[in-house]
Amino acid sequence: MSERSEPAAGDAFLAVEDLHAGYGDARVLHGVSLRVGQGEICAILGPNGAGKTTLLRALSGMCRVRGSVRLDGTDLAGRSPDAVARRGVAHVPEGRGTFMPLTVEENLRLGAFARRGRGARQSVADDLDRVYGYFPVLRTRMRQVAGSLSGGEQQMLAIGRALMLRPRLLLLDEPSLGLAPLVTRELFGIVRTINAEEGTTVVVVEQNAHLALGVAQQAHVLETGRIVLSGSAERIQADEQVAQSYLGYRV
Amino acid sequence: MSERSERGPARPSLVAPVADEGDHVSEPSDGRAGLPGQAAEASAGARGWRGALVARWRGIAVVALLAVAIYAPFELVPFRVFQFTMVLVYAVALIGLNLLVGHAGQISLGHGAFFAVGAYTTAIMFDRWDVPYPLTLPAAAALAFVLGWAFGLPAVRLHGLYLALVTLAIAIFLVPLLKRFESVTGGSMGLTLAKPAPPAWTGLAPDQWLYFLALAVTVVAVLLARNLLRSRVGRAMRAVRDNEAAAEVMGVRLAFYKTLAFAWSAMFAGAAGCVYTWVIGFVSPDSFAVTLSITLLAGLVVGGLGSPAGPLLGGLFVMFVPSLSQDVNEAAPGVVFGLLIIAVMYVAPTGLAGLAGRAARTIGRTLRRE
Repeated sequence: MSERSEPAAGDAFLAVEDLHAGYGDARVLHGVSLRVGQGEICAILGPNGAGKTTLLRALSGMCRVRGSVRLDGTDLAGRSPDAVARRGVAHVPEGRGTFMPLTVEENLRLGAFARRGRGARQSVADDLDRVYGYFPVLRTRMRQVAGSLSGGEQQMLAIGRALMLRPRLLLLDEPSLGLAPLVTRELFGIVRTINAEEGTTVVVVEQNAHLALGVAQQAHVLETGRIVLSGSAERIQADEQVAQSYLGYRV
Repeated sequence: MSERSERGPARPSLVAPVADEGDHVSEPSDGRAGLPGQAAEASAGARGWRGALVARWRGIAVVALLAVAIYAPFELVPFRVFQFTMVLVYAVALIGLNLLVGHAGQISLGHGAFFAVGAYTTAIMFDRWDVPYPLTLPAAAALAFVLGWAFGLPAVRLHGLYLALVTLAIAIFLVPLLKRFESVTGGSMGLTLAKPAPPAWTGLAPDQWLYFLALAVTVVAVLLARNLLRSRVGRAMRAVRDNEAAAEVMGVRLAFYKTLAFAWSAMFAGAAGCVYTWVIGFVSPDSFAVTLSITLLAGLVVGGLGSPAGPLLGGLFVMFVPSLSQDVNEAAPGVVFGLLIIAVMYVAPTGLAGLAGRAARTIGRTLRRE
């Protein structure tokens, strides 16, 4: 799993075409198209209510979509979340989705739920070690109930749990939400390490544009359900004028 | 744009989140940020040591309880033995209900129906085909499992009060149904059967033999439920209870695990119903009215939802409190029963098991201070 794959042909591991999504009558995304290459980190920026979370939910099958989502050639659009998860997409949801009364280790094991078959027991044990390697604090708390963890630890748990799937695509929804700047910076450092060591493709939604652009190769700015600005992370960081007008704050 | 308001954090649910197993040694976090440090390692070491101690005490307590349970029928009068046999029967049913309500976060106001299915399956097998009684247990459990699966299907779409209403309907239509097919079920008169007799080599009295049968079934049920909860399936069920959306993105098929929880839970109720028929030797539709379902749920909540000791304490409550209330006030035992439920829930919102756990911790703390 950890060998770094060569950039895929066509350079589009994840290809989203003209994606529409919403809840009931409320349409939130109006034709979003984007491409993410294998092993890349892609940041989705934008103000509140732009549709960032909805975009991630649409990718992992949690809301109804029209349009096409292709991951390495397989169509994901219209599949249920559990089916998408079995195809290697791990979603760290907004608000972390911690299973509070379960222990840290049980939470992590649930991350590997979609993986089974021969040798699963051993490989899950290996992956627990790997996750504890990234987040040593989780090892010290593995028998504790997850609800007793601090916010930062819960976010680590959520990311660790997503890694247990051995994801091909990792979706992170506002990892910085409600965390101290120091903890946030550490988390982004770990995300970058994971990306570098395992070649996991990452799509990260973030309000903190500065941090997200620091780890991402490319970025898209979303506003009222449309992509209004795309480009490499450096360019968006440099294009301060534009970014400021769209994001409403300095990058 | 309601990017944040979809699938609100809490659906209305009858089932409050409960502390799992109540036994994890979980001190609240000390608020330290999530950076690894020596302090964390040290406190984890202390926690592991204390955890081992707690585990050992629990082991001793379980062995002691089992020893008392084995010794008790030789000391008690037959009527008391019968009463404790019934406690075990209810406990088995409550273990199943605990899986469903306490661990899978569903609700059932119709569990008496699955209990009745087990009881009637056993009774009809005796009555029609003279099946040896040990064989009726797997049959009753299997049939209840299948019916639980079928009636669990509404759980896939319904939540909280809506699900409660549908399961209540199951309990309501069962009684008239049993009265209707008189040729098989014996109608309102019910069926009277011979109780399993003790084999001669045991030298046990009939009431003692029935008690040990019930005890064996209870022990198996406890072990089965325990292993189920620790398995991948159990984790999935609890994950669905805590956060459906998050469980789904882990790859848990919600529909499958919700119906599976119903099926497992019904299976325990069916097994309990089977032992009930062995012990009572008589089934009639009115023994399985809606009140049975409601009493079972009340017993579980009073005993302690989601706690391993809850079903046993609930069984004691269901068995003894109604007769106790009869002694207190012959005119209105229901009133006393109801008031007792209110009193317990007021004093111990997490049930009797929670109260016992709290008492044990307080005593432990006092002893340590000495």
